[in-house]
Amino acid sequence: MDFELNEDQQAILEAVQRLLEQYAGPARAITLFNEQGYDHELDQALFEAGFMGICHDVGSLEAALVVEAIAGHAGVSSATTELLIAASINNKTINGPIAVAVQTDKPVPVRYLAHAKQLLLLSNADAKLITLKSGDVEAIKSNFGYPMGRLARAVGGESLGKDVAEKLKCWWRLSLAIEAVGTMDAALKHTVDYVKQRRQFGRAIGSFQAIQHRLSICAIQVEGSRWLAREAAYHNAQPEAVANAAAFALSAADLIFTETHQMSGAIGFTREFNLHVWSMRLQALRQELGGLSGHRKAVVDARWMKK
Amino acid sequence: MEFDWSPEDKSHRAEIKHFLKEVLPDNWDEMSSHGPGSDIQAHYSREFCGKMAEKGWLTQHWPTEYGGRNAAPWRHAVVGEEMWAIGEPRGSQYMNVNWIGPAVMKYGSEKQKALHLPLISSGNVLWCQGFSEPEAGSDLAALRTRAEKVDGHYIINGSKIWTSYCRYANYCFLLVRTDASSKRHNGISVLLVPMDTPGIVVREIPSVVGDRYFHEVFFTDVKVPVDVLLGKENEGWEVVNTALQFERIGAARYARATVTLDKLADVARERGMMDDPMIVDKLGEARALCEAARVLVYKVIDLRAKDSPPTADTQVARVLSTQCDNAIGRLALDIFGPESLEYASYADANFRLAMTAGVAVGATEVQLNLIASRFLNLPKE
Repeated sequence: MDFELNEDQQAILEAVQRLLEQYAGPARAITLFNEQGYDHELDQALFEAGFMGICHDVGSLEAALVVEAIAGHAGVSSATTELLIAASINNKTINGPIAVAVQTDKPVPVRYLAHAKQLLLLSNADAKLITLKSGDVEAIKSNFGYPMGRLARAVGGESLGKDVAEKLKCWWRLSLAIEAVGTMDAALKHTVDYVKQRRQFGRAIGSFQAIQHRLSICAIQVEGSRWLAREAAYHNAQPEAVANAAAFALSAADLIFTETHQMSGAIGFTREFNLHVWSMRLQALRQELGGLSGHRKAVVDARWMKK
Repeated sequence: MEFDWSPEDKSHRAEIKHFLKEVLPDNWDEMSSHGPGSDIQAHYSREFCGKMAEKGWLTQHWPTEYGGRNAAPWRHAVVGEEMWAIGEPRGSQYMNVNWIGPAVMKYGSEKQKALHLPLISSGNVLWCQGFSEPEAGSDLAALRTRAEKVDGHYIINGSKIWTSYCRYANYCFLLVRTDASSKRHNGISVLLVPMDTPGIVVREIPSVVGDRYFHEVFFTDVKVPVDVLLGKENEGWEVVNTALQFERIGAARYARATVTLDKLADVARERGMMDDPMIVDKLGEARALCEAARVLVYKVIDLRAKDSPPTADTQVARVLSTQCDNAIGRLALDIFGPESLEYASYADANFRLAMTAGVAVGATEVQLNLIASRFLNLPKE
């Protein structure tokens, strides 16, 4: 057991952070948001630096650390899906951007689908890897921080089988938990900086105990989320561990959303203040794969219903 | 960064589990439901800790020079988890081995070491801690119990409150003010006081938490030799802070909560309650909380294993452990329903155990203050 990064992990994290500082960040996310665009340059840079294959080349924990960093820098990139979820499928060629969705009767907004070349579509009995063609998806406008699209017509693709579907759900839960960690962490840091500077009643609002206690509770939730998710990544996305990680992180996500906005006041609602870059995404992450109640049910199923 | 137990720790866990199966009495579950402060557990802890000591496991994390085996903090954490999971048969003696013994090693005189360390490591001594006072709870530095030096002795006058485990305790780890003119953190000393010294009176405070849980301890002209002073006179604040720096997570509460939650889930399944989405949701929420508390406690153990200075990670882990305990205490009532209302029923016992979590070893609000200042670097007024 060792909670410190080893030298290799430290080097990976420093390298990806350097790359993200150059290619990502809130300003870039806002520019792309305004055109509902996608960051192909970031994908290319991640690919060229060798991060896209990190799950196989190094390990799933290291891939998770990279995903956490991309989310923290508000990267507009499905690399977060590619690095953990798609990487769990063996012997298939993945060509990003890639989206992942649950099959529904009525098509719903899906992150990155408007720009995706491939779609992983999951149902209870199967998972399909679909190569998307022109006209398969329509872009839709969303306020929730990611470029979104939805299926415009029925699509078919290669069946991967039920076992792969179950495995993909695990990696998806892990990816959601890790993305939530990076996103919450950035939103919380942004808010902590703000309450240190913002003065009212003659003092920094971050000096009021009413604010301090609530931020401390937020920090506890982020730390719990971070270490559960990293541990689950290290153990290669086992069903109970990822369900716990997602259940904890996506409950925390709602708290972080609510508290960071409340403490940022009216400025927190504006496009000029970066908070929305992370905060709105948290609510989007909460809608995937059955949402919070789905993750909690997955906890119960994995721990107590398989007997 | 890696999250595996070493093969040695894994096999030690198996050994401990086997040992517990062998030595615990048939009625242990019933015994443990009375809590670690109960008469029955206080007495049994001497027998049990004696057996742990024979195996060399009670103080294996102590240095070899004091009879330990220099075992790593992770090894001691395995013991803590297994003990708490089954209801802590060490009773109050977990405090002895976790921090009282180590405090004596660090600050004690040779005479104190020779007296106390063999007693603790043989598992046949009970301690209580004399910290809180009626006017000094969360604000411990406001304590007023006096110890006045007279002719080679201290004369102690004052009272302590909310004291657990003191009814049968042999010694008290007592915080007193030795400099009458001092204020706050200065002028405080630690005395290791035999509880059979004349002038000490223990009175139980009846509470909803359970029998024998809280007590007041009155000191009236209690005369002890000056060699009961631990560390330097008037510098006891440092002694107690160092001793307790990791103790806020010293009890593996999440391990107990995990066992309780598994039992609640079994009951829910047997009673067909798994069709109730609210129950499923709460079970899933509570399980995730337990796991988050566990991994955050592990983070603190990792710091200790590396001899790192203590950080607010301890408080982070402590607050989450409290949330975990409380969630499971409430869920026990939801699952057992009206059956919970009978005293000493399973749900009642767990609910009572959980309800002190946010107050014991420092109120949650104090932990949150420390997280705000040390973890988030938020400004003072």
